[in-house]
Amino acid sequence: MIKMNLEPPNPTNSLAARRRFLQRLGLLSVAVAAPALLPALSGATITPVKGASNKHRWGLLIDTSKCVSGCDACVRGCHEEHGINGTGNDHTDAQWIRKIDLQDDLTAKQSSLPMMCQHCDSAPCVDVCPTGASFKRADGVVLVNKHTCIGCRYCVMACPYKARSFIHEPVSNQKSWAPRGQGTVESCTLCVHRIDAEGEQQPACAVACTDEAHSAILFGDLSDPQSDIAKAMNKRHAQEVRSDLELNTGVRYLNL
Amino acid sequence: MTMIDHLRYATLKPGRLSYGVVLLVCIAAVVLGGYSALTMEHAGHIITGMNNHVVWGLPHVFAVSLIVAASGALNGASLASVFGLSYYKPIARLSVALAMSLLVGGLLVLVLDLGRPDRLIVAMTTYNFRSIFAWNIFLYTGFLFIGACYLWMMMERRFNHHIKAMGRVAFAWRIVLTTGTGSIFGFLVGRNALDSALLAPLFVALSLVMGTAALTLVLVMLDRWQATLLNDQLLGSLRRLFVWFLIALVYFSIVHHVTNLYATEHHSVERYTLMGQLSGMFWIGHIFVGVVLPLGVLLLPTMRLSNTGRLVISASLALLGGLALLYVVIIGSQSTPQMLFPGKTILASRFGDAGFPTYHPSVWEWGLGIGGLALAVLSCLLVLRVLPLLPESQRIENVSSE
Amino acid sequence: MRPVLPSRVSHYLLLLAGLTLGCLSIAGEPGPVIPKGKGDQCAAETDYMRRNHMDLIVHQRDDTVIRGIRDEPFSLVECVDCHVQRDAENKHIRVDEEGQFCAGCHSFVAAKIDCFSCHAAVPDTNQEESVDGNHWIPNKRLMALSSRFSAPLKRALGHDQNEPRTAKPD
Repeated sequence: MIKMNLEPPNPTNSLAARRRFLQRLGLLSVAVAAPALLPALSGATITPVKGASNKHRWGLLIDTSKCVSGCDACVRGCHEEHGINGTGNDHTDAQWIRKIDLQDDLTAKQSSLPMMCQHCDSAPCVDVCPTGASFKRADGVVLVNKHTCIGCRYCVMACPYKARSFIHEPVSNQKSWAPRGQGTVESCTLCVHRIDAEGEQQPACAVACTDEAHSAILFGDLSDPQSDIAKAMNKRHAQEVRSDLELNTGVRYLNL
Repeated sequence: MTMIDHLRYATLKPGRLSYGVVLLVCIAAVVLGGYSALTMEHAGHIITGMNNHVVWGLPHVFAVSLIVAASGALNGASLASVFGLSYYKPIARLSVALAMSLLVGGLLVLVLDLGRPDRLIVAMTTYNFRSIFAWNIFLYTGFLFIGACYLWMMMERRFNHHIKAMGRVAFAWRIVLTTGTGSIFGFLVGRNALDSALLAPLFVALSLVMGTAALTLVLVMLDRWQATLLNDQLLGSLRRLFVWFLIALVYFSIVHHVTNLYATEHHSVERYTLMGQLSGMFWIGHIFVGVVLPLGVLLLPTMRLSNTGRLVISASLALLGGLALLYVVIIGSQSTPQMLFPGKTILASRFGDAGFPTYHPSVWEWGLGIGGLALAVLSCLLVLRVLPLLPESQRIENVSSE
Repeated sequence: MRPVLPSRVSHYLLLLAGLTLGCLSIAGEPGPVIPKGKGDQCAAETDYMRRNHMDLIVHQRDDTVIRGIRDEPFSLVECVDCHVQRDAENKHIRVDEEGQFCAGCHSFVAAKIDCFSCHAAVPDTNQEESVDGNHWIPNKRLMALSSRFSAPLKRALGHDQNEPRTAKPD
């Protein structure tokens, strides 16, 4: 703190006071800046980033016109991949992806689409999590760090898409790549275990949909202008669900 | 200049049968609540009525009402320290103790309802400061700390001159705390029923109502055991204030819903709340039982009721109405269908996006909620038995207050 | 009646008696029997793992979950893969069951672990089958990598001995 000089103003005094002030300001600046400069001064090298990086932004493009009402291959594929065995209670069973059948209010045209975590850039679930367990990875995938999840379900309240599920009962027979347990919250992980494996792998839902010969789900790197998904989005008008919320989702829909 | 208290304070002396009955009932309820919490943690939330649509159920309604009532119960002390009403001074210590007990009860219910209550240490050490929930953890623990300091300033004579400053800090803190509690819901942009800045002041008004109601009921109960608490001046003041608090509550409620009715995007939620499955809880629970009836009992001169009788009836009704309002805010907002595709109707979804999710609380949730309430009352009684917080006489020497 | 000893001395004697009894009660009790894992070596020295596995797990889990770094050698899946035992019907036994790898030590020291309420306590049977491009197969890659990592780790720990470690019978 700069101590104010309480003596009556006097040219010599104020000069001395000004000099002291500038000296202290200079010292303070050096003290603050030094830690930032030290690594550069010591010649330390920056280690290359391992793991997820913001060079990619993973996303999905879903063509609702190719999606068939009554088909739930994507749901079955996802749930098999992650060892999600329902107990038959649709309201308490975990759902990482679900099929929704829609009808337009004006034209009465019916359509169908899968709804899963939209991997928003400004995810409300990430904002509200008290422990930071709900987080966004560097490559855009929104995940739950179940080590720090306390099961408060605030993220379930916050999600506009109702994408999050709370695990209401003890879980068994987990897959080794998909740990999940009672008392925590979970949602679609964009199959990060597949993405992180060598070579760009496709999420289970996309694979299942392709196997069913619908190919409605396209996965890819939204940041790469050469990727199929970026080219498809350039060619056609893709929309976010609830675009009014301006969440900049990673999952976009065609023919919504 | 000085606010030195010339009153003598004493601990609660048990003597009446009703004291023993209240104690036993509270202990039994706390034990049952503990058992409910253990069962819920072991078996998982599957045994409750909660599901992936309604994730916050009855325990949250109880917890939030206890927390909101806690912040409002501090009014008794704030009116003395901050607003200079000297006839509230004798009950100021009790008011702080009650506020802290209610908060502890509410927090316990909240913590025990977590999916992983064993991770409380994680919750207390790992923070995401973008989350209002994280801020609330500080606000709640800070409130307990400030309450303790406030009590200390009041109880130690040589610190009595700090009461005013402490009182202002406590009052400001509790307003921020209640704003934070309301914002837990108001910040949820994804839910049409909740996305509103009005929820914060609505909760502040609710805290004024529920806190005053809780304080009044506790005062009347204690007065039956030790007739040194109530006098006409205090009762008259409580009655007048209670009327204004109820009016403030219904004001914010009306503004909230009328504004929503102007926005077409909120019409489905308003239809559900005002005319649909939630209308009973809203109109009968919140508006009629929670506001209209208490106002009638407090204001209408024709009934042959004393101040005390009017206050007890209206306080009990207002507490029930507050619970109903919180049910509408917390549970109602989850059981209204989520608007995912404006301009379209959802025909079918296995997850139940098409219909109205239902919620039927199980016995475990009732047990946990009532256990928390009982713990709040029990801890308040225990604190009163241990610390000298109850005034021994009603005579206050005339000291000037700033 | 005056006490025989000053209270300070009698307190110390009581403490000593209590400690002796406590030691006697655990003396002679056999330590935990840990089933041997596959292969000749763990991802690091046994003593190092015994003392530090909890820190490794906590550090690794943040790397894996938050940063997406998966090629580290201290993966829980790897632990289960190597240390799981089979029963009489040749089925895998959960590592958190009584007497198995994790529970063997943990129930002896009475430190409850929570890992396997979420994590798989048995390996996935698919891992032993052929590499299917759509499944993450960690063990084949990691078995090659673990030797690459354990060398710098040994250097860092000061365990620079070059003699081969003999497999100790447990």
